[in-house]
Amino acid sequence: MTRHFPFFRFNPQTQKKLQRFRSIRRGYVSFLILATAVVLSIAGELLVNSRALVVRYEGRWYFPTYGRIHTGKEFGLDYAYEVNYRDLRARFAKEPAGNNWLLLPPVPYNPIENCYAGETFRPRPPDWGTTHYLGTDQINRDILARLVYGFRNALVFAAAFILLTYLVGITLGCLMGYFGGWFDLLVQRLIEVWSNIPFLFVVIIVASIVPAGIGMNLGVLLFIVVLFSWTGMTYYMRSATYREKARDYVHAAQVLGAGTPRIIFKHILPNVLSTIVTFIPFTIASSISALTALDFLGFGLPPPTPSWGELLRQGTSNLQSPWIVASAFSALVLVLVLVTFIGEAIREAFDPKKFTTYQ
Amino acid sequence: MSSAFSLRLASALAGLALLVAGCGPSDAPSSAAKGAAATPAAANAGTSVMETDLAKTLQAEAEFYVFKTAADVPTGLKWENGADLPEFADPKAKKGGTFRYEISDFPRTIRTIGPDATGGIRPYLLDYVEPAFINAHPNVPGGAYPGLLTDWAVSADGKMIYYHIDPKARWSDGKPLTTDDVLFTFYFMRSPHLNEPWYNDYYKKNYTQLIIFDKLTFATAHPERKPDLPVRVGNFVPYPRHAFQDFAADWIEKFQWRELPKLGAYQVFAKDIDKGRSVTLTRIKDWWAADKRFFRGRFNPDRYQLDVIRDPDKAVEAFARGDLDIIPLGLPKYWYETIPDTHPEVAAGRIVRFKFYNQTPRPDWGLWINRAKPVLDNRDVRTGIQYATNFALVCSQFFRGDAEQMQTRSDGYGWRMHPTIAARPFDPKVAREYFAKAGFTTQGADGVLTNAAGQRLSFTITSAGQAQRDVLQILKEEALKAGLEYKLEILDATTGWKKMQEKNHDIALAALSRSVELYPRYWEMYHGSNAYNDAYTKDGKNAKSALGSEANPKPKQVVVQTNNMTMTYLPELDRLIEAYDKAETLDEIKKLAAQIEQIIHDDAAWVPGWQRPFLRGGYWRYVKWPQGFNVAQARDMEEFFVHWIDLEEKKEVEAARKSGRSYPNALQVFDQFKRQ
Repeated sequence: MTRHFPFFRFNPQTQKKLQRFRSIRRGYVSFLILATAVVLSIAGELLVNSRALVVRYEGRWYFPTYGRIHTGKEFGLDYAYEVNYRDLRARFAKEPAGNNWLLLPPVPYNPIENCYAGETFRPRPPDWGTTHYLGTDQINRDILARLVYGFRNALVFAAAFILLTYLVGITLGCLMGYFGGWFDLLVQRLIEVWSNIPFLFVVIIVASIVPAGIGMNLGVLLFIVVLFSWTGMTYYMRSATYREKARDYVHAAQVLGAGTPRIIFKHILPNVLSTIVTFIPFTIASSISALTALDFLGFGLPPPTPSWGELLRQGTSNLQSPWIVASAFSALVLVLVLVTFIGEAIREAFDPKKFTTYQ
Repeated sequence: MSSAFSLRLASALAGLALLVAGCGPSDAPSSAAKGAAATPAAANAGTSVMETDLAKTLQAEAEFYVFKTAADVPTGLKWENGADLPEFADPKAKKGGTFRYEISDFPRTIRTIGPDATGGIRPYLLDYVEPAFINAHPNVPGGAYPGLLTDWAVSADGKMIYYHIDPKARWSDGKPLTTDDVLFTFYFMRSPHLNEPWYNDYYKKNYTQLIIFDKLTFATAHPERKPDLPVRVGNFVPYPRHAFQDFAADWIEKFQWRELPKLGAYQVFAKDIDKGRSVTLTRIKDWWAADKRFFRGRFNPDRYQLDVIRDPDKAVEAFARGDLDIIPLGLPKYWYETIPDTHPEVAAGRIVRFKFYNQTPRPDWGLWINRAKPVLDNRDVRTGIQYATNFALVCSQFFRGDAEQMQTRSDGYGWRMHPTIAARPFDPKVAREYFAKAGFTTQGADGVLTNAAGQRLSFTITSAGQAQRDVLQILKEEALKAGLEYKLEILDATTGWKKMQEKNHDIALAALSRSVELYPRYWEMYHGSNAYNDAYTKDGKNAKSALGSEANPKPKQVVVQTNNMTMTYLPELDRLIEAYDKAETLDEIKKLAAQIEQIIHDDAAWVPGWQRPFLRGGYWRYVKWPQGFNVAQARDMEEFFVHWIDLEEKKEVEAARKSGRSYPNALQVFDQFKRQ
């Protein structure tokens, strides 16, 4: 990781910083917990899913988790839509021969299905007997399943959000800092105007009038949010670049005839990396909050996409079913706290003052 | 105040509500002797901007405003006054007390007409409290009773109504109601200054002449005869001419918060408007109609306090706390979970829960399929969609059996418009057969059907506002069983309605609210000229009528801002609708309606949704109601103001809350108007 990265070759100092991060226990443990959660959520289909992991039926093997749907007809039932594997398991259990069997994930529900077909739609409290570990929401969907997939959506959103805002923010910030002069002045003014537009209101307005035919989805929502969020990063990058630009190594590179992109990306950027790294966890936190807020207000992802904001919303309008709001709220707080701990640890580890002695 | 199921936006935007407000005359001399010829000039003509303009208008539109003498009233008219109809309030109701209820938003004006006037407060300023000249009887379909009149008569040709104003009718400032007010009302409603094109148009299209005979007698002429003409055209409320002397183009701002004289039982004083918090109505002392038939025993509380409570959850809590006297509990959540029969106040009998089956046209909830979109123009696909949409599940399990699936578009009118039509049941197998007929035979990896061209059977359902979010998600999951994919698009209310009215949707989940009328309307929703401008041509020009014009087999110019959200254009249906609109007898209307309903059913572009056949809610024990609770056509429990407060019992109940004393409790079910 440190030796062959094309652009950023971590120097011994950076390695030291990483080591120091590992030594800050609270942040490091938070990091491990969060990393585990991320890995688990990526493998969500294997853990929380209505589709069976393995089915053995009439001497054939089926692995339905990924791939096409298997209809009821394929398993000797009379319907042409996707088979209900929980019912199928119950049926296999009754068969005397016992050659047919299937294995369901630990939480055998997907986030968009009505788990109580034919029964009243109402929130049901947590019940370990039915493996609804966190209960169900107001239209009988498993809350744990919605939390897990909602988390994954939020992560995808956060990752893409960071990539895009940093791409725009860093590029523009570096250019401003490097060129300075009228370019810097002009872009700064533009950014000031742009960042004074109240973000949430604009997102709400834009989200409600997304043109017909495109439809609201993760990509569109991301685009709208990024559109109003890239400005923050430019300030830091601009000042960091200004500072680095005045250093001798930059002048040396210029004298040697290096071009602007080479100077910015090869020489300056690695040296301002610590600034970027310390911001990442907080950006993750803010992007998850933004997505949750939008979903809470009903301007986020289209239903029935699982999302934490949507769960919070249901929870606050169903306070007599406290498990809904409690699940979503705890999950949100937990993740934000973990991210903040990680962020603090990173900031501390990358703090240049650590290596300075004040007299 | 509005039931949980009703979509206020639907009512605001549908343009169907026909709660017609009227206008009124000036400070005419109270002598008003019959026999004296009425003159166009009022006492103070020329003294105000309005009077000057009015005089000008009377001259310019002399063919509309006609002045005759009392001797010109035809003899041999059959005068009616509803004497044979029963009263519906309890004459023993006690007056007095302050009644406390809520509105969900503070009004932007207390005007009852003009911009911003159709807010949640308007029913309490106009629709529910102001008597009209002629009112529909809420228990007898087709029946009518006089409000501001002593009696009325229909002309021999059935196109003209004669009115005798009740000489006792007084504005709340003591001035009598006369034909001066009626004259002003028509001038007002037809005036461009009003800033209400819909009313302008309505008063121009439906009234062809106003004839003033004397201070208390007038007549209106109409383009067509109808079995319910008196209620249709006589159901308007006048405006006081003497209070509108400064009516001009700038009236909207000036009248925003102005106290106006009223003919109804309640008045709003400026001191009772607590900006942002509440509006209180005060009962007029010695109200002129207090002992009049059909008004006795109504409008009982002395004060009617409407607190602003923006969040419906909080309103329910406020009721349970005793801050409000009544509350509707339409949503299953409130009925089964917030105030269930085990709630302490309910169990102690201090709060009474009720269920009242009413008889009103229901908002037509359902899926409006846009026939102009590719694939959806195929009737087999639409029929498949009917079988693939599980509204039955929504009714039985989401609304917990409180709602029923609609069968035809016109459920809730006084009789069934078609005796046998029923909504198609949810059946994925039958749906797949229809989809197969349309070429959708292969099932993709995600369970969605595709046709030979690789086209997926996937459509977007648009909905205006968040209210139906859960319903949509249930429909989506169920439809996949038939290989049909619904994508959900929940827009904010204004954007959503715009999209539907501009016919840009694939499928819309929507409802138009409908006013209480004797028989339904079809023209707005189903006539081809509301789908395409070039649906019919006559002499090379676009025509509005299917009769005598040529039907265009491939029309292209879509009409926007109409309620034909299914883009239905069937010349055969259009001819029936035009005959229906011209029909003059009830039998003919019923016969044509049955044929129209059959065609609409066969065309399958509207999937019948749900309706709730009752009102339900709670009231504190000291709120009293007539026997049988309410009238058949009550859309809100307070709509006809038949309730009253028993002040002694109120004290008792308040003491009982402290002492913990309880009363016998039982759910009150009133099913005398339930339709089998």
